[in-house]
Amino acid sequence: MLATAPLLAARGVSKSFFGNPVLRDVSIALQPGRVHALLGENGAGKSTLINLLSGALRPDGGAIEVDGRPVSRMTPAYAQQAGIAVVQQELSLTASLSIAENIGLGAYPRRFGLLDYPELAVRARAACDLVGLDEPLSMPVGHLSLGRRQMVEIAKALYRRPRVLILDEPTSSLSATETKVLTNLLERLRGERIAILYISHRLNEVMALCQHVTVLKDGTCTADRSLEGTDANELVRLMVGRDPGDLFPRWQASALAANAISVRNFSAGLMRDVDLDVRTGEVLGIGGLVGQGQEDLLLGLYGAIPARTASATVNGALGLPGGVPKANALGLAYVPADRKREGLHLIHSIITNMMLPAFARLPALKLRSRRAERETARGLAAQLGIKGDLGRPAQALSGGNQQKVALAKWMPHHPLALLLNDPTRGVDVETKREIYMMLRNFAAAGKAVVLLSSDTPELVHLCDRVAVVREGQIVAMLERGALSEEAIVSAAMGAEHQKVAA
Amino acid sequence: MSTVASSRQAGALYWPVQLRRNVGVRGLFAVVMAFLVAYGFLFPGLLTASGFAKFTQSWFPLALVAMAQAILMLTGGISLAIGAMVSLGAVIAATTMTGPLGVAGGAAAVALTGIGIGGATGFIVVKLRLPAIVVTLAGSFIIGGAALLILPRPGGAIPEWLSDLLAGNTPAAFVLLVLIVLLWKLYLATPLGLSLYAAGENPVGAYRSGVPVDGARVAAYAISGLLCTGAGLFVAAQTGSGDPVIGTAFTLNSIAAAVLGGIGFLGGQGTMRGALAGSLLLSLMISVMFFLGFTPVAQYVAQGLIIIGAVAIPQFRKVQQ
Repeated sequence: MLATAPLLAARGVSKSFFGNPVLRDVSIALQPGRVHALLGENGAGKSTLINLLSGALRPDGGAIEVDGRPVSRMTPAYAQQAGIAVVQQELSLTASLSIAENIGLGAYPRRFGLLDYPELAVRARAACDLVGLDEPLSMPVGHLSLGRRQMVEIAKALYRRPRVLILDEPTSSLSATETKVLTNLLERLRGERIAILYISHRLNEVMALCQHVTVLKDGTCTADRSLEGTDANELVRLMVGRDPGDLFPRWQASALAANAISVRNFSAGLMRDVDLDVRTGEVLGIGGLVGQGQEDLLLGLYGAIPARTASATVNGALGLPGGVPKANALGLAYVPADRKREGLHLIHSIITNMMLPAFARLPALKLRSRRAERETARGLAAQLGIKGDLGRPAQALSGGNQQKVALAKWMPHHPLALLLNDPTRGVDVETKREIYMMLRNFAAAGKAVVLLSSDTPELVHLCDRVAVVREGQIVAMLERGALSEEAIVSAAMGAEHQKVAA
Repeated sequence: MSTVASSRQAGALYWPVQLRRNVGVRGLFAVVMAFLVAYGFLFPGLLTASGFAKFTQSWFPLALVAMAQAILMLTGGISLAIGAMVSLGAVIAATTMTGPLGVAGGAAAVALTGIGIGGATGFIVVKLRLPAIVVTLAGSFIIGGAALLILPRPGGAIPEWLSDLLAGNTPAAFVLLVLIVLLWKLYLATPLGLSLYAAGENPVGAYRSGVPVDGARVAAYAISGLLCTGAGLFVAAQTGSGDPVIGTAFTLNSIAAAVLGGIGFLGGQGTMRGALAGSLLLSLMISVMFFLGFTPVAQYVAQGLIIIGAVAIPQFRKVQQ
């Protein structure tokens, strides 16, 4: 088996974005007739590796090989010619076109220059039969559920008769039946000597389906081996095992018995009937895989999206705020994950950004006092360690300093509870350390901090408790003593050895 | 046996797809029919040959510019230069057709100008990644200026036989419209034509699927330009001469017709049959209100209210779901 050249391979590829290394010297080889699993935490570099393999990005170093020969210029078009098909996480479908027209898009059969509908129907039907899509081919894709659209996406890849099939979390929106159909299909394609790369966060699927695994952690390859004789626990360890270093301040209990926020049967966005208590003086972590409803939990509490609840108490007031100004008045502050679009107004000065929540509170027609604004801003900058001229536009700051500004703007209002959405994403290590210190200090000063994070170590080392969210539910509430990266990751993925589930 | 079944289904893919596209515009078709009946009732002359001819002639240029705007909106673009293009088409027709170029040469000049300017606009918008609304606003000044340079004041001439053919008591306008619609169906049955929808709604996904996104969009601008100058030629034939500002009202009316017809601003939403029905509704509304004795001011107000209503009703339905 090793004698045959891999259909598609990466040899020692590296890739950085803006000087930030995302992949370092990673190799992977896709063999015909094998389902190869690619595992890794959020941000480990999986998507980047797929984009390199499919020609959507080009590596800074290393090479991509097709049939054992290095390709000097890999492009999406070349990848398609070479028989490489990718089922992306974001769908590439057009809602107003029919199922068949979507499946054939970009590779339509032609007759006299016109689209050959009869031929398209035959080939699209064959692809649909493979994935068990029995909807009429003429149905517009916009009428289908998300899961069915995912199946159309897979049918679209199969329509192109690939030799290499890359699936990026194909089952995240599929029902159990659809997942079963897909599993059977992949078994069959494997029998037809197709090389398959399978990315999934569901470990039991990976264990059942795949023969070989590559594990990425922080952009490097930590395992490249046969799945035979490996168990789920070992995979989790390979994905998370890293040294936290002295990034985190020493943890000290500061939680009080009182609840700052308390909700029962809370529903907002993806979250369904959740009970949650946030204590005064604690850092409560919210963990889980990306997109399980964590963000809706914060936004719902903050009144930024519609939310329903059986009963709620927020900083002593009954009921949810129901709107952002009301939430601010109750002492809630929210720092969004996407600071460039939601957190800051990049082209405006740092001072203006810091003063924005204050503007909302001033009487509408009162004249501004520039001097008072400058003084407040200077105080905030000193407190949070933001250096340099505050008259510069916010976009002149580094990501870490931008995050500090997004945080600083709430400080003059002495919020009682901070809702933070992934505050350290894309932030350099030194700023991370400062932010961690600040968060612990807030908690020590009797504020409640809710920290939604995609970074598991910071949940483990910073938080008093961690609520793990999966599919719109809090599936585990881990107390300080039970906190470990393995516990969080396995609860997030629903791995079998989960013994901490609430 | 399975091949028999699948080939039977195969023959029946094109028409079911077409039928499903009607779903979104059924309500609009019903409203248009109601207005047609009302109009026929108010103006029984509609059912005579000359009444029908006159009615289709008053609708024809609006139908063309509605198509020109709709094809751009489907790609996620828009044009504010529609009116200027109509004017330019009119003055070129009026200055060339009685000259040495003759009718055929003049018509070719009109068509080439439309395709050329449309294609150039598309190239600027697509390749330089500039906002369509700004480029076409600037374009409307340039194109409108060019029309005034060619013909500073109304003048020129269209051969009388051509005016009689297009705008006399013949259904030529209707026949032309049917032909243009058939050509559009043909274009939409080519891979490039159908890619319009994908390029407008999900350009990244379309690019990853191997669709020539940029090419499809530039082609749409060129076709749009051709439709506009063609409408200009027809308007010149109607009036028998060229007028360098005759097209001005068409810019906003083309957007109104496309929006009435259910074309969305975000690209990839709506159908050409909807845009055509929207343009028919707009010209029917104007005629019916005229016959009902609305003052021109009241007509404009009513027109505006109907357009807002047409956009709001589907939105309400979506919210209720």
